[in-house]
Amino acid sequence: MAKMMWRCSVCGDIHYGNKPPEICPTCGAADAFVLTDFDEAMKIIGRRTGPLDSKEKVVASWKDFAERNGAILLTESDEEIDMLCSGVLENLRNKGFRYCPCRIPSGNQLKDQALICPCNFMKQKNWGELGECWCGLFRKKEGRS
Amino acid sequence: MSEKGQRLIWFWGKECPHCKQLRPTVEKLEAEMGIKLDHLEVWHNQENQKIMQEYGDVISDACGGELGVPAFYNERTGKAICGYKISLEKMRSWAEGK
Ligand code: SF4
Repeated sequence: MAKMMWRCSVCGDIHYGNKPPEICPTCGAADAFVLTDFDEAMKIIGRRTGPLDSKEKVVASWKDFAERNGAILLTESDEEIDMLCSGVLENLRNKGFRYCPCRIPSGNQLKDQALICPCNFMKQKNWGELGECWCGLFRKKEGRS
Repeated sequence: MSEKGQRLIWFWGKECPHCKQLRPTVEKLEAEMGIKLDHLEVWHNQENQKIMQEYGDVISDACGGELGVPAFYNERTGKAICGYKISLEKMRSWAEGK
């Protein structure tokens, strides 16, 4: 099913997915989402969030992601974080997306979406077998399967 | 660099932590076998990326779906191995075409 854009008619939250959320994650309104389109949604969102284009911001987003997810840890090595972040930012500059630094995008944007960091590493073979993402940026918390 | 079609290629990335970790094993293999692999850097070098993409299907299969580094491709046998948990024995079998 093709994903569509939905707008919360109460608070203006935008959701992109197969179906609208039943409860708005921002304002809590029930069954408030209505179909919208790209132009309207982008106007509502605007440019308020600013780009994630510096080492500080990207690393902060990784830390926040790992803290919210009880099953994963960010690697403790600052050197690795630094190297991987440089790779991600170089991909952003050269290829337009924060692609995984350890894998090579194919040039097919739809397919390469799966390589935007953080990727779906918890669904990948390496996670099951080695307990870490392909580049070793994230790893499984001890005692979690 | 060996002749195209005969190369033993190591695809690596300049800032890739796993490539750094695997480098001593690669160097050990080279010393033991008295050979030199073609070290092709692919994080920065677009030409080398193209070479990797030429062998894309085989390498991505070995990497579990996408083109990843560190990856090794043997042009003589068409075989690839991928990932950083590669033992010296496994690397030797790949290089010898076993
Ligand atoms: S494998 Fe790790 S570093 Fe690469 S995109 Fe996925 S989460 Fe990011």
